[in-house]
Amino acid sequence: MTGPGLCPVSFISFLKRGIEMQKTTVVVIGGGATGVGILRDLCMRGVDAILLEQQDLAYGTSSRYHGLLHSGGRYAVKDAEAGKECIEENTILRRIGRHCVEQTEGFFARTHLDDEAFEGKWVEACAKVGIPTIPISVEEALRLEPNLSPKIKSVYRVPDAAIDGFRMVWQNVASARKYGGRVLTYTTVIGIEHSNNQVVGIKVRNTLTGEVSNIACDFIISAAGSWAGEIAALAGISVNVQPDRGTLIAFNHRITSRIVNRLRPASDGDIFVPHGSITILGTTSASVNKPDDTVPNAKEVVELLNIGEALFEDIRSYRMLRAFAGTRPLYSADPNATGRGASRGFVTLDHAHDGLKGFVSVVGGKFTTYRLMAEKVTDLVCGYLNVKTPCRTAEENLVEDTSPALMAKARLYFPAYGAELAASRLGSEGLEKVIARIQEKPEKRQLLCECENVTMAEVEEAAADSTSYMISDVRRKTRMGMGTCQGAFCTFRSVGAVDANGLSWGKDTNVLFKEFLQGRWKGIRPILWGNVMREMELTRGIYEGTLNINGAIDNEGI
Amino acid sequence: MREYDIVVIGGGLAGLMAAAAATKRGKKVTVLSLGSGTLTIGGGIVDVMGYLEGGIPAATPSAGLLQVGDKHPYKMIGRPAIEESIRFFKEICEQEGYSYIGNLDKMQWIPTAAGTLKPTCLVPKTMDTTELKKADKVIVLGFDALKDFYPSLIAKNFKKIPAFAQKEYEVVMIDPKLSEGRDVTALDVARWLDTEDGLASCIEKMRNVVPSGSVVIIPPVLGTRPNYLVKEKLEQALGCTFVETASVPPSITGLRLRTMLVRYLKKNGVRIVEQAIVAKSIVEENNCMAVITEGVDRERTYYAKSFILANGGFYGGGLLAEPGKVIEPIFNLPVEAPTDHELWANYSLFSSEAQPFAKLGLDVDEKMRPVDADGKVILNNVFVAGRNLRGYDFSFEKSGNGVAIASGYQAAMSV
Amino acid sequence: MKKHHNNPDSCTACTVCVANCPVTAATRKFRGPKMVGPTLERMRLSQDDIEPSLEYCTNCKNCDMSCPSGVPISTLNMLARAKHFKNRKRSLRDWILSHGEKMAKLSAATPGMANLGMKMSRGILKKIGISNKAPLPPYASKSFSKLFKNLKQTSYPDKVVFYPGCFINYNDPQVGMDFVAVMQANKFEVIIEEDFVCCGSPLVVNGFLDEAEENAKKNIAVLKKWTDKGYPIITCCTSCGLMLKQEYQELFHIEGVEEYAKHLYDAGEFLLDLHDQGRLNTNFGTLNEKYMYHAPCHLRAQGMGLPGVELLALIPGLDVQDADAGCCGISGNYGFKEDKYDISMEIGSGLFKTIKESGRDTVVSECGTCRLQIGHGANVKTLHPMTLVRKSYEAFHK
Ligand SMILES: Cc1cc2nc3c(=O)[nH]c(=O)nc-3n(C[C@H](O)[C@H](O)[C@H](O)COP(=O)(O)OP(=O)(O)OC[C@H]3O[C@@H](n4cnc5c(N)ncnc54)[C@H](O)[C@@H]3O)c2cc1C
Ligand SMILES: Cc1cc2nc3c(=O)[nH]c(=O)nc-3n(C[C@H](O)[C@H](O)[C@H](O)COP(=O)(O)OP(=O)(O)OC[C@H]3O[C@@H](n4cnc5c(N)ncnc54)[C@H](O)[C@@H]3O)c2cc1C
Ligand code: SF4
Ligand code: SF4
Repeated sequence: MTGPGLCPVSFISFLKRGIEMQKTTVVVIGGGATGVGILRDLCMRGVDAILLEQQDLAYGTSSRYHGLLHSGGRYAVKDAEAGKECIEENTILRRIGRHCVEQTEGFFARTHLDDEAFEGKWVEACAKVGIPTIPISVEEALRLEPNLSPKIKSVYRVPDAAIDGFRMVWQNVASARKYGGRVLTYTTVIGIEHSNNQVVGIKVRNTLTGEVSNIACDFIISAAGSWAGEIAALAGISVNVQPDRGTLIAFNHRITSRIVNRLRPASDGDIFVPHGSITILGTTSASVNKPDDTVPNAKEVVELLNIGEALFEDIRSYRMLRAFAGTRPLYSADPNATGRGASRGFVTLDHAHDGLKGFVSVVGGKFTTYRLMAEKVTDLVCGYLNVKTPCRTAEENLVEDTSPALMAKARLYFPAYGAELAASRLGSEGLEKVIARIQEKPEKRQLLCECENVTMAEVEEAAADSTSYMISDVRRKTRMGMGTCQGAFCTFRSVGAVDANGLSWGKDTNVLFKEFLQGRWKGIRPILWGNVMREMELTRGIYEGTLNINGAIDNEGI
Repeated sequence: MREYDIVVIGGGLAGLMAAAAATKRGKKVTVLSLGSGTLTIGGGIVDVMGYLEGGIPAATPSAGLLQVGDKHPYKMIGRPAIEESIRFFKEICEQEGYSYIGNLDKMQWIPTAAGTLKPTCLVPKTMDTTELKKADKVIVLGFDALKDFYPSLIAKNFKKIPAFAQKEYEVVMIDPKLSEGRDVTALDVARWLDTEDGLASCIEKMRNVVPSGSVVIIPPVLGTRPNYLVKEKLEQALGCTFVETASVPPSITGLRLRTMLVRYLKKNGVRIVEQAIVAKSIVEENNCMAVITEGVDRERTYYAKSFILANGGFYGGGLLAEPGKVIEPIFNLPVEAPTDHELWANYSLFSSEAQPFAKLGLDVDEKMRPVDADGKVILNNVFVAGRNLRGYDFSFEKSGNGVAIASGYQAAMSV
Repeated sequence: MKKHHNNPDSCTACTVCVANCPVTAATRKFRGPKMVGPTLERMRLSQDDIEPSLEYCTNCKNCDMSCPSGVPISTLNMLARAKHFKNRKRSLRDWILSHGEKMAKLSAATPGMANLGMKMSRGILKKIGISNKAPLPPYASKSFSKLFKNLKQTSYPDKVVFYPGCFINYNDPQVGMDFVAVMQANKFEVIIEEDFVCCGSPLVVNGFLDEAEENAKKNIAVLKKWTDKGYPIITCCTSCGLMLKQEYQELFHIEGVEEYAKHLYDAGEFLLDLHDQGRLNTNFGTLNEKYMYHAPCHLRAQGMGLPGVELLALIPGLDVQDADAGCCGISGNYGFKEDKYDISMEIGSGLFKTIKESGRDTVVSECGTCRLQIGHGANVKTLHPMTLVRKSYEAFHK
């Protein structure tokens, strides 16, 4: 057990990675929903492809979002086309994405503050694009969702669902890998190589080490979301993406078991989405200059709470976990349209029209329509590549169901409420590996993250994955640190466990502690009052006060 | 009519110390308390003053005290009372058979579970580092399945601390056979060592891996009771020295200290009312007549001559944070706080600066009575103690229990 | 904020409750209040599963008392248990233990079945899961309500309503009689209501929440009738008291609960209040006796200190020492269960040791089942404080 932690194999191979020049047919930029959707589609059609992501998978908007698999109800009145796309994709994803979609259904509830006339218009518009809406009585709605404000006036049921961004991204990648897809995380695209107006490769920088290298390719698809403008600019092409920041609040528990939308023209703060153990309220809308301007502020949070009160009267008594923000990739052909007025539909831009062949951007859209976007852009690229295989992403499930036998086995090793969660996070293969770790050392079934039910074995498994370089990567894969205490306890344990297994990526443990807690702090700082303040006093008491991970040591004084 | 001299609001370290000091002065004391305070969370290590502004380590607690800012509670309490309070605290510990070591003129750097050292003032004997500092070879002993202790991390990090780098570290593990049932925390191991069988079996297991004469760093597991029996028996049987680390909650050292103080108070006739949530007060002309608890059934009124407000800070419930304001819920005392919430906290969670929000609290005079912005006493017979005081970030400067002891003592002496 | 937030939101995961839960200290099979209460509550809201170790929680409320955050931990546990058992078949053992009142009525109506313990041999009890070592209480030959009917009270304008509860009514009626005598000595007339039913505490801990709610509704209707007239309601059993005033509010949504709760008193507290008003009969005769005292957890949870101890301190000569050694372990009928008996005794062991070491041979405590357990575990006699108060009044006139 003694001796310095050895560099894990994954880290060494990571360092070596850039040395050999890689080759592929298509490079996909962006590890968000759109990018992974494209990777999967390409690979399923037999096209060799590599996906590049500057940070970890789902680092961008695809995890800083609301997680609503839209029924389309929100768009029906204003943008019938978008409404139609949503209900169609919603139906597909509920089928192929059983392990990342939670079929909660949704309510559209009109509060006492909302215009009655809009209700009729909305019902009609939904009917027109094929979104089923079922009116129910307010009493029935309150029986189903007792925390709803009794002041609401009317309620409809719609087939909304909740979709987990992290899981969906991971599952697309897992599926793509089965078809030969490759993924490089912490790889920033810094240049587009071309000759004779034809793409020949891409220049990348290792985000962690700074090392620069090239990948040869025939085609580049930019699925960089809010960053799409920046990527296009690398080739001297202008793509008008206006990043639009939306702030969201995560609450500590499931205050509603259904999605609740406010029945009024789409506006700020009018949707509550339950996700596993938490609920998310959002969102705001503010144009920002930079795609990664994702630091929320207290003012936005207070505004959201004020608005949210109309649907959930006791909203202020519910504990918040954190605030977070993402930037919408709003595309407009017209450079003057910003905010909610801009189209949320998507476009595929074939930059051959701008004079560069082999470069396509796909911009705009929604998480809900990621698969459709991927299909459209893949169709375009396959046309160039003369690949005739049709798209099958709507037919094949993202991941296979975990067999009943494996589930039964998992229940022997995971604590209550843990097996299902772990199975949907890990997939069958991952689950087998985690079980094997527990079988080898039974104490590894202990929970390092008690709030989100994450075992020591799972943390180790996630840390050992080749795409993990810090505890935050483990968090995204496992949900550790994302529950009530926001890392107060699991940070210490995870760093300890990871380090004890020689997996600490060659980093000083104090650095790992700070890095992770600082990440949590970003979302806590804007909501620092009530129980969040109390939790922070505890967290600081532990790490700053007791463990003294921050204080200088007075070597003379010892 | 049942009448009390003093009602103490809050049963954390500040409240318990205030009650102890007041009782010692012959006062009749009632403690109204909700929950069991932060001791069992934060621990029984008494920091007095570890770091100055800018994160510079103080040479000794005394030296640190000399350099605190004007709004700091220590400034109000004053050096003599601080010294007396520490003496009084140590006296109680001694008397109850759970003595503490340390003094204001020596900084004690104690090992933590993160493999760092932290500066403090008073510690239980289980954290005495005298032998550790001398040792060339140190054993870091872990317990299988204990999820709150990673010995190799400690050994590795100690190697990076210049003053500890020359030592040789060996990590050894003991299997307490606790892996069945719930997850294992230090509390489970400590309870195992509380039992005779557990202790005997532990000694047997240790014999194989810990040579006589070793200095052994262990998690805080040397029994849950406020005495040194476990430590003494282990050391006697193995001929070794054991040093507990500061570690994460639940805090065994805090549990011991709290058990001891509560026992001491009860023995001395202090009435402690549990689940007594003080919600309101009756104030007439700058004097508090009574405080009122809010039960599920009904309110109860507690009359007294004086009141000590020791209900903690944000964590304890003595201060309530809302966007852009802080409320003191019982007397509605003023708390100065930036209305722009963005100014409450630094962008970095850890830096060389204290966190502004951690310093929010009540202003007091030298007698610990609450004062307004002009320094005028608001309530003549209310005395404030503990984390609800303004002007110190206990986590950053390492001063939490020190302020609690000194201010609790001073409040009781001012009555 | 709502007064009763049956959600996990204020938990900071600090683990203080874990350090203070007596069951957690006694067995490693229990995952502890934090985990089973608030932590898993978040999961329960999204998934249908059961934490098996939930069954170990005794509803003793020590977790609630130690929590710095006001989390309704034990209530979350009880609600989760009830949710789990809804529409699930229950064991005969749990049914019997939670329906003490029905059993008592049955045995009274069926001559020859006078005693549960006699009728069903201990062997049979063990077969259905009741420990053959458990201190099962025998039924009294005459119930309190029978004894009370034959009692001639002096009528006074001041009246109180007495809620005896099952234990006093069927097992230990003398406590009720002592209470009536004490009230009479204070010039109060005691009213007994035949329509009261079991408070529901044993039903709640065994997960029969719907039935408990039925009982609650019945009791509340009766309580309200009296409190509307301004009559105080008094209990001598701390678990009944806690149930009527607090747990009804936390567990059920019944109109008017807050209102009557204001008029509910523990006997000791009521007498101390009289004392504060100068209305208490302080003609206490000297009792040169020494006792230990045990504070029931369900009394400590009520936020009024230890009124019994304060009251007894008024009696000249009497030396009552608070054992202050935590939970006795019985928790209603928890300790009667075959699979819980050892845990229950382990929990109480600290208390038993303290009592034995004190050398005192009698222990005073408000709770009937605590008295049973202490008698069993420490091999001592036990008394309710009212018995001593009565004795002191009588001594004055001797
Ligand atoms: C607040 C908010 C709430 C929302 N709610 C919903 C909702 O409920 N339902 C719904 O359907 N949609 C919702 N959306 C929209 C939806 O989240 C986005 O449309 C979708 O996630 C975009 O996915 P993407 O893959 O296109 O972009 P992203 O997820 O942002 O992915 C782009 C990726 O590209 C990477 N990248 C950028 N530059 C480079 C580079 N140079 N090199 C390598 N990689 C690079 C980024 O790191 C990023 O990970 C919401 C959006 C916001 C902002
Ligand atoms: C994780 C952590 C680690 C720490 N580590 C250390 C350390 O190593 N060394 C050190 O010196 N300090 C440490 N501290 C700081 C130290 O614990 C505290 O600063 C100190 O104990 C505060 O004591 P207090 O009595 O003022 O407050 P608290 O302990 O918070 O006590 C307040 C009491 O008042 C009660 N109360 C609140 N409201 C009411 C009400 N309305 N009615 C009745 N009662 C009420 C509370 O329930 C509580 O019992 C740590 C703190 C934490 C959180
Ligand atoms: S009610 Fe008692 S047994 Fe149950 S969790 Fe709380 S302290 Fe433990
Ligand atoms: S004591 Fe309260 S706040 Fe602490 S872990 Fe238990 S329930 Fe949570």
